[in-house]
Amino acid sequence: MNSFRLISPALKKFKRVFSHRSRMVLSFLAAGSILIAFLIYYGLYRFLDYVGRAPMLGDTFGPVLGGLLVSKLLEMLLLTLFFMVLFSSIIAALSSFYLNEELPTLMSSPLPIGMIFRSRLLLMTIESSWMVAVFFMPALYAFATALKADLAAYIIFPFFLLFAILLPNLAGGFIALSLAAFFPIRQMKKVFQFLSILVLTGLIFFLRSLEAEKLLNPSYFKDISQYILSLQVPLIDYSPSSWLHQASMSLFRNETADAMRQIAPLALLALGGLAFLNLFAARFYRQSWQRSMEAVDNQVLGLEWLRRILLWPFRWTDPVFRVIASKEITNFVRDPAIFSQIFMMTAIVFVYGYNLSILPLKDIPSLYSGELNDTLVFLNGPFIGFIVASIGMRFVFPSISMEGRAFWAVKSSPISPRKILSTKLVLYLLPMMMLGIVLCMVTNSVFKVSNPILMYMSYFNVILITLVITSLAIGVGAVYADFSADSPLKIAGSYGGFIYMLLSGFYIINLLVIEIYPMYRMFFTRFYVARGSSGMLLVFVSLVLLLTSTAIWVYIPFRKGLDTIENYEPE
Amino acid sequence: MNQNEPVIRFCEVKKQYGTFPALKSVSLDIFRGELFGFLGPNGAGKTTLIRILTGIIQPSAGQIFIGPHDLFAQPDKAKAMIGYVPDRPYLYEKLTPLEYFDFMGGLYNVAQDRIISKGEEMLRMFDLWDRRNELIESYSHGMKQKVAMSAAILHDPEIFVVDEPTVGLDPKSVKLAKNFFKRLISEGKTVFLTTHTLTVAQDLCNRIAIIRQGDIVALGNMAELQRRASLPGNNLEEVFLKITEEELAHQPEIL
Repeated sequence: MNSFRLISPALKKFKRVFSHRSRMVLSFLAAGSILIAFLIYYGLYRFLDYVGRAPMLGDTFGPVLGGLLVSKLLEMLLLTLFFMVLFSSIIAALSSFYLNEELPTLMSSPLPIGMIFRSRLLLMTIESSWMVAVFFMPALYAFATALKADLAAYIIFPFFLLFAILLPNLAGGFIALSLAAFFPIRQMKKVFQFLSILVLTGLIFFLRSLEAEKLLNPSYFKDISQYILSLQVPLIDYSPSSWLHQASMSLFRNETADAMRQIAPLALLALGGLAFLNLFAARFYRQSWQRSMEAVDNQVLGLEWLRRILLWPFRWTDPVFRVIASKEITNFVRDPAIFSQIFMMTAIVFVYGYNLSILPLKDIPSLYSGELNDTLVFLNGPFIGFIVASIGMRFVFPSISMEGRAFWAVKSSPISPRKILSTKLVLYLLPMMMLGIVLCMVTNSVFKVSNPILMYMSYFNVILITLVITSLAIGVGAVYADFSADSPLKIAGSYGGFIYMLLSGFYIINLLVIEIYPMYRMFFTRFYVARGSSGMLLVFVSLVLLLTSTAIWVYIPFRKGLDTIENYEPE
Repeated sequence: MNQNEPVIRFCEVKKQYGTFPALKSVSLDIFRGELFGFLGPNGAGKTTLIRILTGIIQPSAGQIFIGPHDLFAQPDKAKAMIGYVPDRPYLYEKLTPLEYFDFMGGLYNVAQDRIISKGEEMLRMFDLWDRRNELIESYSHGMKQKVAMSAAILHDPEIFVVDEPTVGLDPKSVKLAKNFFKRLISEGKTVFLTTHTLTVAQDLCNRIAIIRQGDIVALGNMAELQRRASLPGNNLEEVFLKITEEELAHQPEIL
């Protein structure tokens, strides 16, 4: 028996997620994932290639300053990765060290405590880091390609990343173990969910406050020396992320010996940390686990006034709708972690609004400003779609899973699964659509949209996108429901959450492709008088195609979710 | 409905999990006003049958009638006649018991006045009144079982289906639960329960069925079961062991 064997139940559970899917669906999803990874890789590579040359800075300074700009962007990305892994690891550690269902059995077995701990550490590292690694890998390889790295760099880099992921996980594990020795663990998990999201929100503001767009415009700086200096100063000195940054830059520039020397402190720290954490766990893990068993869940009965206000409009609705809404809102208000999520979502919305407000639209020659504005308004809908999708992933996608093991109560009631799903769809569609429309209103006012057709189209797009995204969140959330999950955060970060985001992205691409012709025609008529009816016919065909495809995108996930719920057999 | 008409009718109900037959072909009639006990060793198919009866899982074949309604053709009408208490009372943990009653009552379209009055009556009966404002997540297994039992009665069902009603209950609560079932029967309701506690079945049930490996191997009142086991005057435990061992002896040898 070893630590790897002990995580086999979790791996088998993960495998079961795939074994229930048909080969065709799995192939489709794999192809979609590869396509998205490629788009991230290629899109970022093209951007970095341009930034690396920095033609706007001239032939002499361009490549020099461009190289510094690319390096700065890599540093920001690695810093984000480090913090994301660190905070998700603390939450994952509290779950897998103390709240995992297998623990009582393992703890009562004669297995050495060190082995049990290592198995939990492994589980927590996989849980907290796999999605971050999957998403960041194409982006990091884009840096390698932009810096013209050799094949060896692509092979060596995953090992560098492994150290970079291991270290924050060890730190997260150590923090979780230390805290559990002094505080009731169930409360700690919620407090940390709250704190981590607050810190991530702070990180979003921090990175945004660096005003990376200014780096592309030297006129913001008094002189060139100050500009170069600002590019060379590390974001945080002597941090693991800055070591990884230096080592990665050397590796991508094919200076492998330097890279190895620069990664050495990180590697040594990670290995030393692993040894230390093992010793620490051997001494304190069993003791802190026993403490965690004595704690009870907290009673959250605050914010009753908010709950009552939110429930008030439902007093006049159909009884089934009322009670389902009431349960969802009550669960929402009584989960302390949910508020930190709201802060984070607010931060994303704020940063999006701020980004738009600082777009240098006034610097663009007036002849083209109309087209640029129109293009931005057109693209704004899909961007809002991504924001709404990420909010849906956190709040709507887990709603079926959060029925939990109590789902028998609904299944044995006279209410049909169709009614349950459609009630949830309507319930969540209203706030999602309102959010989308408000975002659209605000951003349209920033762009000062003059063309009424374009303005109506932007609202129309947002309505269609939120409709599909909500249906996807409910449907895919039902197909990939995990009724044993203890936190919405865990459900949102699951494989199903990834599929939901992927499909949301596909629908947005679907919408953009169909609307390209009507947009082209709108631009065209700005300069030329449109003649003939064939163009209008094509616009009409596009509209029909858009409505039909949207109906399909709404129906299929809902139907699939319904089939899953109808056939679901609760424990 | 006539007293002699079955209020629950199982017609050749089968359930197959892959190649494993959890229920072979169960046909059974349960009459109005009966307190019917369903016994069997672990894994015999009791919970599977109850879950099919409450519409939680679908059978592989067969029909079930609840009163005049086909459970699978008219699930809304059939399910509205049943109140169900599962063996493991997983409830919505972030609700208080009264909020849980409101939720369950809403699903069964019960008037709010009735939800409040009946809910409060049940909480008092089960000694939970003082803890009515706490979230269910802080309740013990037995307390959750009492909340589930209370919620199941809110819509005044004709049929009360209970899976292992006494597991996790203290002796006082077991007595309360027994009296509660007797009261339901005196009001003309039907109770269908499974239990491993044979004394509960012996004390309460008018008729008992014993299921083994997905088949009903004995059915009748206490005297009929004693005759079937050729153990007149013996208690249910010995009758149960005799019948299930007999059936085991009749199985073809594998080795």
